[in-house]
Amino acid sequence: MDPVWFAGVLFVMTYVVIMTDRLNRAIVSLMAAGLMIAAGLLNQEAALQGIDFNTIGLLTGMMIIVAITKKSGIFQYLAIWSAKKVDARPWGILVMLAVVTAVLSALLPNVTTVLMIAPVTLLITDALKVNPYPYLFAQIFAANIGGTATLIGDPPNIMIGSAAGLSFNDFVLNLAPLVVVVFAATLLPIYLIWGRTLKSTPEHRQRVLDYRESDAITDKRLLWQSLSVLVVVITGFTLADVLNVEVATVAMFGASLLLLLDNLPRSPGEQNKVVEQTFAEIEWQTIFFFIGLFILVYGLGTTGLMEDVAHDLLELTGGNAKVTAISLLWASAVASAFVDNIPYVATMIPLIKNMSASLGGPQALVPIWWSLSLGACLGGNGTLVGSSSNLIIASFAERTGHPIRFLPFLLMAFPLMVLSLLISTVYIYLRYL
Amino acid sequence: MTASVIMDPKPTVLHPSDTVRTATHYIMHHRYRNLPVVDDNGCYIGVFGVHCLMRLMLPPAVVMKEGLTTIPFIRETLPDLHRRLIEVEDSPISQCINEVVTVVAPDTPLLETLLVLYKTRTSVPVVEKASGRLVGMISYWDVTRKILATEV
Repeated sequence: MDPVWFAGVLFVMTYVVIMTDRLNRAIVSLMAAGLMIAAGLLNQEAALQGIDFNTIGLLTGMMIIVAITKKSGIFQYLAIWSAKKVDARPWGILVMLAVVTAVLSALLPNVTTVLMIAPVTLLITDALKVNPYPYLFAQIFAANIGGTATLIGDPPNIMIGSAAGLSFNDFVLNLAPLVVVVFAATLLPIYLIWGRTLKSTPEHRQRVLDYRESDAITDKRLLWQSLSVLVVVITGFTLADVLNVEVATVAMFGASLLLLLDNLPRSPGEQNKVVEQTFAEIEWQTIFFFIGLFILVYGLGTTGLMEDVAHDLLELTGGNAKVTAISLLWASAVASAFVDNIPYVATMIPLIKNMSASLGGPQALVPIWWSLSLGACLGGNGTLVGSSSNLIIASFAERTGHPIRFLPFLLMAFPLMVLSLLISTVYIYLRYL
Repeated sequence: MTASVIMDPKPTVLHPSDTVRTATHYIMHHRYRNLPVVDDNGCYIGVFGVHCLMRLMLPPAVVMKEGLTTIPFIRETLPDLHRRLIEVEDSPISQCINEVVTVVAPDTPLLETLLVLYKTRTSVPVVEKASGRLVGMISYWDVTRKILATEV
């Protein structure tokens, strides 16, 4: 079979199987990568070259840091502290928990953030005797919007940053201001729909006010160690360009440092147990999914198919950078609302790189990279299956007897996603085009 | 010898429509750890016991899957916990039946039954494989009493 055809068919088949959710996505991507090698399109050495170890290292490092940090109870502390700051008023708590979720999602993996914040949210809404649905709905948006703000907030940004050479600071300076506006604009409709109806009695609010947030910190030593390492890591990200180091190096150094600090006072036997437990918390399925996907897309790239598709796409937009950027923003959002944004972005990256010469060099691609990032991240808000964190929050909602159904969510969330895209369109146009 | 030799063939049973109040009365009055729950045909459904009562007294965010693992920041009092229980007293026990309990069949060998009892650390329902009917319960006390009463 012609290599181009084989790679193209394998690629499409892989995506179809991933979309059906019938087979674990890590198995699918690894199997596809294996077939690329078995078919002779890549040898093992070339396949390894296709893996973006900057993405893998950054993801793994941050997962280790979060796995250790969360043991300190800091996430519960933040959630309770923020709830008490607004005198346990239902709408105030919704806003504060959404802010906490957004900020944490910008600095940590979204999935981890919602796994930590959603249970506290349910505890608080149970104490207040209010419907948790609006709170969880707002947190879905907060996680996806917050994750858009930084290089490390969402896996698509990690991949884009690594492939396009965009730094942590580039993301903060270019996307964070927009994210603040989008976040505020999203809260307004939520207030109009639910905010005014959220009521609780003084007695129920007192229950929340009686929570002692300081008692949520179960290990003060670990808390300070974790916070110190997080400060070092974030500082490292911002100075990565100056120090001439990759972000993965910074994340892995932070992870090693925190592992060391956490295990230093323990006996060797205990250390083995604790390190094993920490490593067990790494989302290996995600890591191997990425590895398989990188090899698959790299293999596809070697056939020249990506260049042809990029050329065809540019013909569609008339080779106009403005049209290309805005089209990509909207197309990416709609695609990411329905399919996994990780394989989508993995595919778009080589396509966009191939547009470089036609659009006028790497600098001309900058607005296109931001469009891809905004579309892929904000698109996750469009449907319940738009991102992993949406599904996790939905599973929590189900367990409390307030299920978030696909269609009602779509009817509320899709217009809100469109609102965020309209704001992003104006921003991209005014700032870059 | 099999499980049928050591089981209590007429155990107290609950039905899914029984209230939490009824179940609490049985559990507290007779100090049962677990009571079997059966449908109208006597088919085994699961168990309701002290663990279920504890679950009902805790906030849902704590007992749910992937819920909070520690809650040292909440300082509730005994009246608070009693209030929680009162809130669900008239609800049917069907909301909190534990269906993931190891059961044995009447013809399960004696030593295997003892091993199940040892591993589950609570009373074990005896269920007929074909019909799914509950035919008895085995507690630590039943077994130990019968072993001690047997001449060597």
